[in-house]
Amino acid sequence: MRFLPILAFALLGAMRAQAQQVSFTASVDRNTIAAGEYVRLTIALANSSERFGPPDLGGMVIVQGPFENSSFNYINGHMSSSVSRTWTLTATTPGRYIIGPARIKVGGGVIQTEPITIEVTKGTAPPADASASQGQRTDPNLFATVSLSRNKAYVGEQIIATYMLYCRYSGLEITKYELPKLEGFWSEEVELGETNWENEPRTVNGLQYRVAVLKKQILFPQKSGKLRIAPLDLTCVVNRTFFNPGKTITARSNAAEFTAMELPPGAPAGFSGAVGELQFDVRTDRTAVKANEAVEVTVRVVGRSNLKLVQAPALSFPTDFETYDPKVIDKIAVNGSGMSGSREFQYLAIPRHEGRYALDPITFSYFDTNTGAYRTMQGSPVVIDVSPGDGSPTALVQRPSKTDVEVLEHDIRYIRTGDLHLRTKDHHLYGSWPWVVGMAAPALGFVLFLGWHRKRERETADIAGTRRKRADHVARKRLQEAATALANDAREPFYTALAKALQGYLADKFGLGVAELTAPVVREQLARTADGNELADAFTRLITACDMARFAPVEDRPRKELYEEAATLIARIERSPRA
Amino acid sequence: MKITLLIALLLATTTLNAMDRTEADTVAAQAQRAYVAGDYERALVLFDSVRAAYASPGLLLNIGNCYYKLGDVPRAILNYERGLRLAPGDEDIQANLDLAREQVKDRVNQLPAFALATTWGRVRGGRDADQWARRSLWAGLAFFVLLGAGFSMRKRWLRRLFFGTSGALMILLAVSVIFASVRHGEVVDDSEAIILAPKVDVLSEPRAGTTVLFVLHKGTKVTVLQEQNTWYEVKLPNGSVGWMPPATLERI
Repeated sequence: MRFLPILAFALLGAMRAQAQQVSFTASVDRNTIAAGEYVRLTIALANSSERFGPPDLGGMVIVQGPFENSSFNYINGHMSSSVSRTWTLTATTPGRYIIGPARIKVGGGVIQTEPITIEVTKGTAPPADASASQGQRTDPNLFATVSLSRNKAYVGEQIIATYMLYCRYSGLEITKYELPKLEGFWSEEVELGETNWENEPRTVNGLQYRVAVLKKQILFPQKSGKLRIAPLDLTCVVNRTFFNPGKTITARSNAAEFTAMELPPGAPAGFSGAVGELQFDVRTDRTAVKANEAVEVTVRVVGRSNLKLVQAPALSFPTDFETYDPKVIDKIAVNGSGMSGSREFQYLAIPRHEGRYALDPITFSYFDTNTGAYRTMQGSPVVIDVSPGDGSPTALVQRPSKTDVEVLEHDIRYIRTGDLHLRTKDHHLYGSWPWVVGMAAPALGFVLFLGWHRKRERETADIAGTRRKRADHVARKRLQEAATALANDAREPFYTALAKALQGYLADKFGLGVAELTAPVVREQLARTADGNELADAFTRLITACDMARFAPVEDRPRKELYEEAATLIARIERSPRA
Repeated sequence: MKITLLIALLLATTTLNAMDRTEADTVAAQAQRAYVAGDYERALVLFDSVRAAYASPGLLLNIGNCYYKLGDVPRAILNYERGLRLAPGDEDIQANLDLAREQVKDRVNQLPAFALATTWGRVRGGRDADQWARRSLWAGLAFFVLLGAGFSMRKRWLRRLFFGTSGALMILLAVSVIFASVRHGEVVDDSEAIILAPKVDVLSEPRAGTTVLFVLHKGTKVTVLQEQNTWYEVKLPNGSVGWMPPATLERI
């Protein structure tokens, strides 16, 4: 059966003997191209005037064509004609493409060309813009695209959206375009000026377009999750000339999808939403001022970030500084590469009192997109020396207005330091044995003292008793004197002492005066004791002997004998009952 | 044999528990340093170890402060109350207690101390609970000595002077004994308690599931009327009475 067409062809040829042979061929200039390169397909038909179009291109794209070339010859009565059409084809993706057979009807039959295989290898030619192939095309000659610099970014991180116009028309006038409304983004327009066409044409699907950047936007996602950038709608008028009103074309770009990632948890305390790559420094215009002069502390944040969203870090000035809200100075450039520059916060503070003040370290936190982590930077420490205010004579003497001490915060009082005066736990002095003893002891002592005191008082009150009690003692003392006199052989002192001892003893004993001691009194007093008369006689005898010896030079008995008798007498009286 | 063992054990435990006085002072100083350094947990542990054997208003103030700084307000209140019981009128403890009480949820009619009460408290309380007992001892000794001296004087005006002074001292003695007795009663009294549980339902009977009369929160001071099967019958300053489940309060 494969031979059937050839057979038919042969038969047809035989039937039209006078007509010239009809030939129908397809050819390419080369069979192997790199992706994006062009291949020329030529289909030639000889001796027929049938019209033909391009065959099935098997996925390849027509870049140019067809160009028609026809010739007509009349030689020796023989007429021959040939027509060839040429297309320039290209393919963007590598692979094997088969250009199908082209068919024409000649007479009653069909003639077709041979299929052609074309290898497309990985090309060196610039691949077409990927996003360009996504554009929704109502007109293949004009379309717009939206492309994002990144498909995935952290919340707050900047991404660049580029709106581009691809056009194959010669005259183009954009009458209207509307940027899509952005939800979930904070956007910043990049000023581009006039719509500028790129010098080099770009190839999309084998077609060459002139490309212009319509608009650039810096987008900062404000919430996490899948975000969508709506398509851009565009209305253009093309091919307008003086004679031709032109054609109005509307184009709509693709919609871009975007994933915003949530910032990781664990943001530092001072984090206020800055995301990017930043540097930070703190400057003071001067570190030594006089009281009531202003000090300016400048905090500067430099880098690529959502700088316009960076908030002033909180500076804690000492409490009696007068402070003002910081002044914000922006030097921010928004261009095709994003938002970058610096933002300065100028804090003005007026110290009111002299002293040396150190500000708390100023810190600034941001999310570093390079490392994917939070970073906290600390500024250089700020120390301000405030000297006493200007005492210039023109200055008014300012009396500081008194204010109540402001209680800022309540806290518990500090712990007791030093000796805590620790005492044994659960040990109470009251009711304990030491306490009872301590209470009782003075009372007991007092009672004892009182007893002793009373007794002594009673004794002092009874003088006679005391005399009686002390009589023996006194008598002994006097006898001692007499004994001394005896030893010294002193006559007068001996008798005096002896008489005094005897008389004093009895006087004490009976509670009488010495003068009252007459013989009858002595006898009467001693009568109450045993052997009273005998004792009284002995007493009288001794006293008489003493008186005789003292007042008359009569010594009828030896002194020693007298002394011993006196001592014996006193001892006897003392010992006798009821003395 | 058994008895000697028991005695040995008793001795061992007492020596273990009873920290030497100088050692206690050292540990207290360490705790104070830890507090200064802001290490409240360590300070608390050290103070507590001293507290096992010793007590003083200053120590209890410090323990209360540690608890307060660690955020345990009810235990801070408990220790301040204990400190105030030892030294009524201690200004620091009173101030801290007032501040801690502000964080207690229940509003019970507990007046903050006013100046006169604080002064009276200082007179009554002093630096430690034994103050009046000591004073009574001194007053007793002085009274009897002066009385004795008065008796032994011969001159009439001297006798009068001594007897008059001793009479004044007798009044002082009586007053100090009364104060010492009252203070002893206060210090020994453990009928008041602080609620430690975050929230307690006070029930009508000492049994779970009975009617909830009212709800108390941590830090509130109650008076314990009686204890039954580890349930407490408590009374509020406004007169409400109810039963609280076990392990919800600690006696001051």
